[in-house]
Amino acid sequence: MRAYELMKETFYRRSYIWIVHVSWFALYGLYWWLFLPEGPDFGKFVFVWGGFLLPLALSAGIFGDDIGSGRICVLVTKPFWSGELYLFRLLGLSFQAVVHLLLAGALVLGLHAVMDKGNTTDLGLWLLASWLLFNTCAALSTTLSVFVGRAFNSLLLLVLVAAGYFVMGMLMRMLGDNAMTGAFMSFVRYGWPPFTLLHKFAAGEYGPFALTVGKFSIAKDIACVVHSLMLAAAYSVLGIVILSRREFSRVRD
Amino acid sequence: MSEYGLMGSELILRGRKTVLVQAEVEIAGRETAQGAVVESQGLTKVFRRLLAGRDKAVCALQDVSLSVRAGQIVGLIGPNGAGKSTLLNLIAGLIVPTEGHVTVCGYRARSVAARRHLGFMPEHPVFPGVYTARAVLRYHGALLGLPAPAIATQIDRAVQQLQMQEFIDRTASDFSQGMKQRLALAIAMMGEPQLLLLDEPSNGLDPVGIVQLRDLLKRLRDAGAAVVISSHRLGELEKLTSDYLFMHRGRIVSIAEQVAASQAGQLRIELVADGVALAERLLPASKVLSATDKELMIAVADPEEVPDLVRDLAQGGARIMSVLLQRENIEDLFLRLCNERT
Repeated sequence: MRAYELMKETFYRRSYIWIVHVSWFALYGLYWWLFLPEGPDFGKFVFVWGGFLLPLALSAGIFGDDIGSGRICVLVTKPFWSGELYLFRLLGLSFQAVVHLLLAGALVLGLHAVMDKGNTTDLGLWLLASWLLFNTCAALSTTLSVFVGRAFNSLLLLVLVAAGYFVMGMLMRMLGDNAMTGAFMSFVRYGWPPFTLLHKFAAGEYGPFALTVGKFSIAKDIACVVHSLMLAAAYSVLGIVILSRREFSRVRD
Repeated sequence: MSEYGLMGSELILRGRKTVLVQAEVEIAGRETAQGAVVESQGLTKVFRRLLAGRDKAVCALQDVSLSVRAGQIVGLIGPNGAGKSTLLNLIAGLIVPTEGHVTVCGYRARSVAARRHLGFMPEHPVFPGVYTARAVLRYHGALLGLPAPAIATQIDRAVQQLQMQEFIDRTASDFSQGMKQRLALAIAMMGEPQLLLLDEPSNGLDPVGIVQLRDLLKRLRDAGAAVVISSHRLGELEKLTSDYLFMHRGRIVSIAEQVAASQAGQLRIELVADGVALAERLLPASKVLSATDKELMIAVADPEEVPDLVRDLAQGGARIMSVLLQRENIEDLFLRLCNERT
């Protein structure tokens, strides 16, 4: 009951959320209509919009709104572990992503069947990669929302990701391949939302390893999935710790 | 019975029995106060800003010890910045004390066990997005872990008690301040908590709503709930509770002596005639503040003197038309105390 209400609340907390979903579907249709006569990957488009930009749009102010308005003061006086508040809201986002991506997949397949345009190769894998990326980005954005206590957590994440790749590019260009850039690259590889990893995972760029089905290495693909889920879990643990220890007061006496 | 050591002065204020809760509750030598719903000892809260020096720290609460028992309504009064909301937030477990401790029903504040026993109503309630009042109550009932039938029963009861029939199925974010206050109180009451923490509960309520709120809180008190109210509406508070904590600059100030002193007043007596002669003949000069043939103003140190004074005057031949004892009420006292301390 509590889980259901908290997950439901993540959808109803802002009236614009359903507009985000609907306009996103319109965007997929438009992209299909305008840019896929020759059949490049539709999956890559869904990966960027559904995996990265959708969680930013849906998680904006997910805790910041409550902290800013003082509503959190009532929520955290209820008799349950504060981590549940975080977890069920994140699951609410993740569930929205599942429904959204499945509908997006149905839309693409439907359009493909009707118009015979574009390429739907490995669409399922791209949708899975999008969902995994969605989870990591949503968890990081939610944690940032708990930390900053304002509604600009998504914008902050966007700036952080852009700044991270900019710094990485600069370092590679200026310093070349040395210990410092190596350490930074390792941090980005293992601590950052796994954009490159999941892109390669969905594109089937990993060569055969031990168990291979077609062009995919099952062992490496499983490692990609586990890494993404663990990263989302790590971001979540950080958010839960901050939420549990944070003080909430609007002292105006 | 006062095991928890409430020290107070019983006195008559506006004809009602009033007990002033004194701050420094003596609980030394005992582990917990029996019957106490809220208990704190040496509670201190210092707010520090990140990366700011020690000199920028604000001590919002300093060495506060108190005890609130079941079936008691306690009013927190004091000027802005006195520490009332900080004290409420500490009891609610929203913030952590810098020193000291506070318990709710014997459990450390901020623990899940303590939260099971408290309902909190903030000063400015906010409700989620597009929820109706009924959906908001259902949501909070679910957060409390109540089963669906119990939630439905409690919603129906809250609707009756708080007169919410007209707007229970309307979107809560569009409510007027008064409607929001009723809904916030209904949320705080869900789960029938043993402790209600209310921050300015009568904000925005119309006169009928204020009377209903007062009656409801009295019923809850009679049912055994403890209620702590922070409010600037002293007139309302006075009608609701007889127990006050006067806070000033983060401390609870003992006001028992001042209130006792405030019981002194002026007796205004309207007469048909001969006021000056009667005053000279029947009253000590030191007591007569002013005298005309039609009116006498007499100083009284204790309200219990009044019946004897009136009887003496009547027996001495005074034809009395009206008698009025003018005294300092809690509002006047509050203003005087604030002025004295600033």
